[in-house]
Amino acid sequence: MRLRSVLWMVVPALAFAALPASAHHGWGGNATEEFEIVGTVESGVSLAGPHAAMKVRADGQVWDITLAPAARTERAGLKEGVIPVGDKVTIHGHRNRDPKRFEVKTERVTWNGRTFNVYPDRK
Amino acid sequence: MNELLAWLEASALGHAMRNSGVWTYGIVNLTHILGVGSLFGSVLLLDLRLLGAWRGVPLSSIARPTVPVATTGFLVAAASGVCLAATNATEYIGNPFLLIKFPAIAVGLGNVAVLSRLAAWKSRHTREPNVREQRQLAAAGAVSLLSWLTAVSAGRLAGYW
Repeated sequence: MRLRSVLWMVVPALAFAALPASAHHGWGGNATEEFEIVGTVESGVSLAGPHAAMKVRADGQVWDITLAPAARTERAGLKEGVIPVGDKVTIHGHRNRDPKRFEVKTERVTWNGRTFNVYPDRK
Repeated sequence: MNELLAWLEASALGHAMRNSGVWTYGIVNLTHILGVGSLFGSVLLLDLRLLGAWRGVPLSSIARPTVPVATTGFLVAAASGVCLAATNATEYIGNPFLLIKFPAIAVGLGNVAVLSRLAAWKSRHTREPNVREQRQLAAAGAVSLLSWLTAVSAGRLAGYW
């Protein structure tokens, strides 16, 4: 097989593989409308993995709260153990576009009169 | 499979990944990318040569640098990959891309075993392959390229499921 025909196979495959990446990085996979829920902390902030995360129970539903990357979340003051499990929190951000997924990509967490603004450059 | 992921997450490695600072995951992720990049970059060059590109360069001359770099890249990627998976292993339960990725890696490794047993590969330092052997080498190169491309693509997309 000639090199040129190999490249005709490889290059489109790589381009295709790169496509869905845009759905996750940034906010493309989330609704454009601002979204807010009030609930109680089901499991506290974890700074492990690609994004910090917590779980919040609201109206009997447990929501996955996706925060910023761990270092950015920590810089916003939201460290592990700061908010106790069971406490009331307000989550502000953008809901997952898939209505079957109870996930919020979060810009701000408010607890006990304090606001942790993990994406201060976003309104 | 699910028990294995739960065990991995609860292991000492999982605890270490979750409790060793906010940059740990990012740095291990970087290591994984360097490993995968070394593996795929080397494999791409070797496979294109097996498929018939750069016939003026002897196969043994291309194999000399690409095989050890690919092997090292694979080992780095595998070690760092286990660490990444252990961080939140149970989140990967039901992720269909992993059911593509690991069989693709198995095919890629199996293909290495097949290629390394071919007479044309073993005699690459001493003689040129005949036409039939060239087709065997090209087939091994094609299987290799497809399996590693599939493994890398599925691995990347697993994070977006």
